[in-house]
Amino acid sequence: MSKYRVQDGALVDGGPLTYNDDVVRKFTIAAVIWAIVAFSVGVYIATELCWPSFNLGLPWTNFGRLRPVHTSAAIFAFGGSTLIGTAFYVVQRTCRARLWGPPALANFVFWGYQFFIVMAALSYVMGFSKSREYAEPEWHLDIWLTIIWVTFAVIYVGTLVKRREPHIYVANWFYLAFILTIAVLHVVNNLTLPVSWFGSKSYSLFSGVQDALVQWWYGHNAVGFFLTAGFLGMMYYFIPKAANRPIYSYRLSIVHFWSLIFIYIWAGPHHLLWTALPDWTQTLGMVFSIMLWMPSWGGMINGLMTLSGAWDKLRTDPGLRFSVTAVGFYGMATFEGPVMSIRNVNALSHYTDWGIGHVHSGSLGWVAFISFGAIYYLVPKLWNRDGLYSVRLASWHYWIATLGIVVYIVAMWVAGITEGLMWRAYDSHGFLQYSFIESVVAVHPFMVMRLIGGLLFLTGGLLMAYNLARTIAGTKPLIPGLAAAWPVLGAAPAGE
Amino acid sequence: MGTGLGDGVVGVFVGLLGLGGLALGLGARDGEMFVFGFSLAAFSALFVRGLIRQRALLTGRVAEEAAAKTETAAHV
Repeated sequence: MSKYRVQDGALVDGGPLTYNDDVVRKFTIAAVIWAIVAFSVGVYIATELCWPSFNLGLPWTNFGRLRPVHTSAAIFAFGGSTLIGTAFYVVQRTCRARLWGPPALANFVFWGYQFFIVMAALSYVMGFSKSREYAEPEWHLDIWLTIIWVTFAVIYVGTLVKRREPHIYVANWFYLAFILTIAVLHVVNNLTLPVSWFGSKSYSLFSGVQDALVQWWYGHNAVGFFLTAGFLGMMYYFIPKAANRPIYSYRLSIVHFWSLIFIYIWAGPHHLLWTALPDWTQTLGMVFSIMLWMPSWGGMINGLMTLSGAWDKLRTDPGLRFSVTAVGFYGMATFEGPVMSIRNVNALSHYTDWGIGHVHSGSLGWVAFISFGAIYYLVPKLWNRDGLYSVRLASWHYWIATLGIVVYIVAMWVAGITEGLMWRAYDSHGFLQYSFIESVVAVHPFMVMRLIGGLLFLTGGLLMAYNLARTIAGTKPLIPGLAAAWPVLGAAPAGE
Repeated sequence: MGTGLGDGVVGVFVGLLGLGGLALGLGARDGEMFVFGFSLAAFSALFVRGLIRQRALLTGRVAEEAAAKTETAAHV
């Protein structure tokens, strides 16, 4: 449908209830492409950790430069594209309003965001970085991202303001918390002084332990508001829609929202336990991290219980299966996180691969799975198809990816605990029992196991990309019976 | 705000950003700023070109619709 219509001899934006799905389609395609890029780079650097010669002796391909390419591609490119795309989709439906502003503005957000991702990846490969985890881009890229993000926020808030529904559906609350908090975090953490307006090098305005605290206030809340709040918005819209059920408890969703955003913001210092950070600040971070367990599980229960009376749909709808499994992983990761924030546990787990396992149970199990669920739901709808090209392929994707995650996180748990125990072992004379390289040798089998897990996850992603490409192309399966009937669900009570 | 005016404002804004990128690229003191500056200028040029092309297509479509309407009215 055309985005434009003629009114009084002039072109005006859309009609009363025509949504701007063009930009959602673009973000959906970008999300799938970036998912494959992120998983591929992840697999490559996992190979480097098994066999360092895969560094190829080149500066551009060493682990230190490719690692932020992997994390940024996974979090900001894949996760971010999914988040912005679904935010634009959800806000229009739940507000019964077309996106605020001219179409070019939403297009600017899309192309500008993709430009940021490509430029950031290029700068890491060239060796330019602020060395702040998840905030590696230098100052000029930070300013560019700020422009894009503010435009995104203006469109989102503008759409909420012009809504035709009196109520703001809870998914929008989560999306809004994600948009506004990330803006604040990004600006404060990236306050730097450039050496020159024409040079990319800059220095942080903060120093010493204050700098570390600001970085982890940002880092942990990037997890909290980018990887949690935003994706919870997705959960609160797409699970009820796919299950064709209302949210189990709307009141619980509101309690979930306020408790989560109040508590999350204080938990950052748990990344700096046993450091020069004042002891009371460390305790504060630890206590708030443990308190965070309750709202997280409240949300998990709300998501799972929404399936009450519709559990049978899991057999036939792999998209919903992804979403529900994601909620399970969310519950697991949000239990493990508070446990790891306890000082004595952290003494064992910090700086080890247990942290990597924890991050990936959250990023693969929660973030990627809830995204896959939303994408499998969205694609047939956005391209007006009767269903997916192949439900069986989506089902294969589910099982291969789940197996991949389990292999990955088990390997990292075992490797992490092995490292933690070896690094703290003393002999009878009080000397360290093992050299560092001995711990590296000890965990080598688990590095290989992790690589296998990653390869499985990547394989699943490739199946998804193929399945979605065929769905978009509108081709029918060559093998009869490959595609089962997968109804595109109609109107559901979720916020509409 | 009409689509044309709104798109025009966005186009001018992106064009100005592109000029900024050009300045950064020309004065760059390192490889990263050189790549970023000229890439931003190229991004801006492509974005504005896309807007102009879309606008031209739409204007053509409106003219065609108007012509078809006039023709129908003449037949009636």
